Amino acid sequence: MGLPIYGQAARPPGDDRGQRPLWRSLEELAAGRDEGRSPEFAPGADSPPDALSRRSFLQLLGATLAFAGLEACAPPREKIYPFVRQPAGLVPGQAVHYATAASLSGYGVGLLVRSNEGRPTKVEGNPDHPASLGGVGPFQQALLLDLYDPSRARGFQKRGRQLSYRGTLLELSQLAKGHEADGGARLRFLLEPSSSPLQAELRRRILERFPKARFTAWDPLSDDAARDGGRIAFGAPLEARPQLARADVILALDDDFLGFGPEQLRLMREYAARRVQGQELNRLYVAEPGLSVTGMNADHHLRMRSAEVVGFARAVAARLASKHGLASLAPLAEGARATPAASAVADDLARARGRSAVLCGPRQPAAVHALAHALNGALGNAGSTVRYLKPVLNDLSTGPAGLAALAAEVKAGKVDTLVVTAANPVYSAPADLDLEALLEHVPNALYLTLHDDETAEACSWVLAASHPYEQWGDTRGPDGTVSLVQPLIAPLFESMGEVDLLSAFLDQADLGARRQLQELWRQRRGGAGFDHDFERWLAAGLVPGTASPAEAPAPRTAAVAQALRDLPPAGAGGLEVGFVPDYKACDGRFAANAWLQELPHPVSKMTWDNAAYLSPATAEKLQLVNGDLVEIQLAGRAVTAPVWIQPGHADDALTLPLGYGRRAGGPVAKGAGFDAGRLRRSDAPWFAAGAALRKLGKRHPFAVTQTHDSMEGRPLALDFGAAEWQRGKGELEEHRGDPASIMPAMHAYEQEQYRWGMAVDLSRCTGCSACVVACQSENNIPVVGKDQVERRREMHWLRIDRYYQGAAADPQVALQPVACQHCETAPCEYVCPVNATVHSDEGLNEMVYNRCVGTRYCSNNCPYKVRRFNFLDYRGEMAPTEKMLMNPEVTVRTRGVMEKCTYCVQRIERARIEARVAGHPIREQDLKSACQQACPAEAIVFGNLNDPQARVTRLHHDERRYDLLHELGTKPRTAYLARLRNPNPDLA
Amino acid sequence: MSALFRPRANTFFRIALVVILGGAAGTVGGMMLYARTPFGTRQFAELQQPIQFDHRHHVTDDNIDCRYCHQTVERSNTAGIPATSLCMNCHSQIWNRSPLLDKVRESYFTGRTIEWMRVHRLPDFVYFNHSIHVNKGIGCETCHGRVDQMPAIQQVAPLTMQWCLDCHRDPAPHLRPREAVTEMDYRPEKDQAVLGPELARKYDVHSRTSCTTCHR
Repeated sequence: MGLPIYGQAARPPGDDRGQRPLWRSLEELAAGRDEGRSPEFAPGADSPPDALSRRSFLQLLGATLAFAGLEACAPPREKIYPFVRQPAGLVPGQAVHYATAASLSGYGVGLLVRSNEGRPTKVEGNPDHPASLGGVGPFQQALLLDLYDPSRARGFQKRGRQLSYRGTLLELSQLAKGHEADGGARLRFLLEPSSSPLQAELRRRILERFPKARFTAWDPLSDDAARDGGRIAFGAPLEARPQLARADVILALDDDFLGFGPEQLRLMREYAARRVQGQELNRLYVAEPGLSVTGMNADHHLRMRSAEVVGFARAVAARLASKHGLASLAPLAEGARATPAASAVADDLARARGRSAVLCGPRQPAAVHALAHALNGALGNAGSTVRYLKPVLNDLSTGPAGLAALAAEVKAGKVDTLVVTAANPVYSAPADLDLEALLEHVPNALYLTLHDDETAEACSWVLAASHPYEQWGDTRGPDGTVSLVQPLIAPLFESMGEVDLLSAFLDQADLGARRQLQELWRQRRGGAGFDHDFERWLAAGLVPGTASPAEAPAPRTAAVAQALRDLPPAGAGGLEVGFVPDYKACDGRFAANAWLQELPHPVSKMTWDNAAYLSPATAEKLQLVNGDLVEIQLAGRAVTAPVWIQPGHADDALTLPLGYGRRAGGPVAKGAGFDAGRLRRSDAPWFAAGAALRKLGKRHPFAVTQTHDSMEGRPLALDFGAAEWQRGKGELEEHRGDPASIMPAMHAYEQEQYRWGMAVDLSRCTGCSACVVACQSENNIPVVGKDQVERRREMHWLRIDRYYQGAAADPQVALQPVACQHCETAPCEYVCPVNATVHSDEGLNEMVYNRCVGTRYCSNNCPYKVRRFNFLDYRGEMAPTEKMLMNPEVTVRTRGVMEKCTYCVQRIERARIEARVAGHPIREQDLKSACQQACPAEAIVFGNLNDPQARVTRLHHDERRYDLLHELGTKPRTAYLARLRNPNPDLA
Repeated sequence: MSALFRPRANTFFRIALVVILGGAAGTVGGMMLYARTPFGTRQFAELQQPIQFDHRHHVTDDNIDCRYCHQTVERSNTAGIPATSLCMNCHSQIWNRSPLLDKVRESYFTGRTIEWMRVHRLPDFVYFNHSIHVNKGIGCETCHGRVDQMPAIQQVAPLTMQWCLDCHRDPAPHLRPREAVTEMDYRPEKDQAVLGPELARKYDVHSRTSCTTCHR
């Protein structure tokens, strides 16, 4: 072991906390702490940029100096371009927020988008929308980057011939007319799943004109199984919508509800609210093959192959039936093998009848969903912690079955015109359908797309789609709430929306989506004052009174039992391959998004890549190490993939994230990762057994931020079991309070009106990374690319550290968002030779870009390693649309400048000026940092520590509060609240 | 053996030393000085604007308040350059055939903006806000000078950081009642040494000098 850490008391004997070493990588754990420790600097960290050596840099520097005077003679004069007619209500320089909504898999999330002089620059959640509650996920925020992407598809092409918008509508009108004769028998639509009432109306009218036309919805991440499970259990395709605010015990059956899905933001809020002391903590069991965001947060992560989840659930049912008198579950328990884990979970669920919830993820087959419904019914959770709602999507089936039927029709030559608005089906369709070849048989394959992707290459008509933030429309949240979608900006490139395209088949594209939307809602909610109502709904972001009422169905046990019996047996040996949506690329639709590509994967911290994840034991058995390239064979197909060893992964299983390995779609998408979808079959879209693995003997370099900025061997991300909390909370005393110092107090911050501070509650943080994207968007943070991340030069001001503790096979995970701590005695400030980082009277550690000369001394002296340096000119020449993305309140930094978290000082100053003009102090509701505003779990709180009523002040005085690296005496303004775990004593 | 250098060489050496060192320091110093002269700060430069807009006439003869055209000065960081439609409020009625206003009418009817030359320019890393200054009793005249006497707008203040800080460190001498913010040739009713601190208290003036007040 290393030397004792200065200022840190030795632990009393018998304290087992010291026995749980923190480790960062498997190499480190295997090699023992000292030998395996990753080097402080990455290979290449000190190497000069490729283009310029130190010598030529100095030569250029001399020349620059010599000519600098000349340039000063005549800097260009700027021009001012005022409006010709100023729009009413627009105040130049004042941002306006507009309510709108974005859909994923057809489910809407209400958003507020900030617009600076007509440019959308930041996406926030709509606090009034039930699927957002003010939080926002990485995807909705990163959509903004797609809007300004200069490589977006533009214009309209028919067989390589450019068409104007008018010309396109004319051609579409003729095309539609040709289908009228046979009633549209040879006309097919392949749509992105949608819950839009406007789309439903257009489809109804299209079917009136073309009665024999058919619509198919395709979503590679379809949740069909959930609706089919409802059909089995209740005879109706109902969807379970959990209410976790009341749930004491949660069993997630392969359900990543904290990491993904239409209700992620709401469920995260409800889950996190039950993780703090002062109330009964909830307890989360997660049974899954990989390690998901939800798995990282589990009190008990029960790793098992995907096909074993049903057996586990049956064992729980068996125990509930035999030990706890829930006789109705007995028929479901046939052949279940009891395990200690299943028994403990069942006992826990039984203790919390009516206050527990069994959740089942969309990857599991319908029968498992039905089983979950039966369990919830028997436990009395239905109506309490689980509500059942009618589905909101326009298509009850969005999965491979519908697509396979359509493919069969195309193959039989029964389709003349295929209108595709689904996101890149050629890439995302199961490999056995071979859509790419089939599309060649369709004389008119129309594709409406945001990017020139794989499907665009295979289709004869390519129509540029308007971005979701450029269109009128509507959508429904998972609970049925209708949101009106309003554009934030006129289409930047020549493009059309889905509404326009569908309307073209009714000869009504001229009407425009806004008018169509208004007419539809006038019919539905018309009457006096409709125009006023419509404006009100637009402003609020939702139409009141549109949420679906809860149903009260009774599960039919016999049908569920039959469905379970009909499940195919766990099947062949070999490795089980499982597919999961990626946290960054999703199903591939975000692969061209550089923010998401560079966002560290919440679990593996991987950027610009995906990998075949497997467990340490499996890797050892197959003699694989991180980065080994392997060929994965499954049912006659093979892909080449690099492996990544994931602690906590189930043995004899592989987890392959979808969405990478794109063959087209722009410079960012191409070349990153491998395409796991090539192994997907339409009859086994989520997992399949019987895979074989062949080592290729080659290696793949990963750009992983996991071993960056090592803060090893120190108490960083602290956690306590709920049982040991009362006994152990005294331990935190040594990690907080004023450190002993011989230095006089620098400044009496208590005398100031404002003393800015932050509190991060590790009990609430789920590691979802929404804050990282929010920070990137708000603060104009550049993307640096894989090569620079490999050299550890990523620029994120806010990172989320992830530590594993305990055994490699089944570790506990600790998460910790770390940004600049704004130390009151900041080590960075003492060493700056040019006073470029200084302290404000309100305690902000300020970074003055125009003074910085780039010595990087501050970064060297920062114990938290949160400072980021612009080694290169990462912005380069920006395209005109990229410039529009920039937040005008934050300086765009140039090469050679240090930067770091500012506590969103631009928001502080904006709030200060507004408050002082209005004549009141800055109130708590006036000011939120970007990370705080985005956080769906409310884990980050920012505010004025001199306001005794402020939430941040109360959290700073919380008994779970501690300071990061307190022994250094830096007096950080960011406080952490230790995480509480709630393990089941029976499983200890 | 005779000396390698004659005694004169000492003098040459000293002169060369002074020229080299003094020249280097002088170059740097001269450039820094230059940046502070009106040539460097661009004070008093008269710019060719697309339209001969005369503030003298509009302010003095017509007695139009600054805020009629610079509408957002009390609400936003920018004072606002008036939209063409605002010019046409009056000029659709008066001087509506003047050739001097050809470009205004052209802009109004074609929808193309008028390209004004910017006179007061701050660097990109400076975030100035008009509303807070105007609301705390800093007059237009304090920074922009006697606009009512300018045929063409020119910059009278140096707009250097030193100039900003001079006032931020001691704002009282520059404060005036809010009612008089747009007044030109303002004379305080009583001694500014008394009035200034009085207004500072009344308006709760706390001018800040932290870096992030202006640089973000």
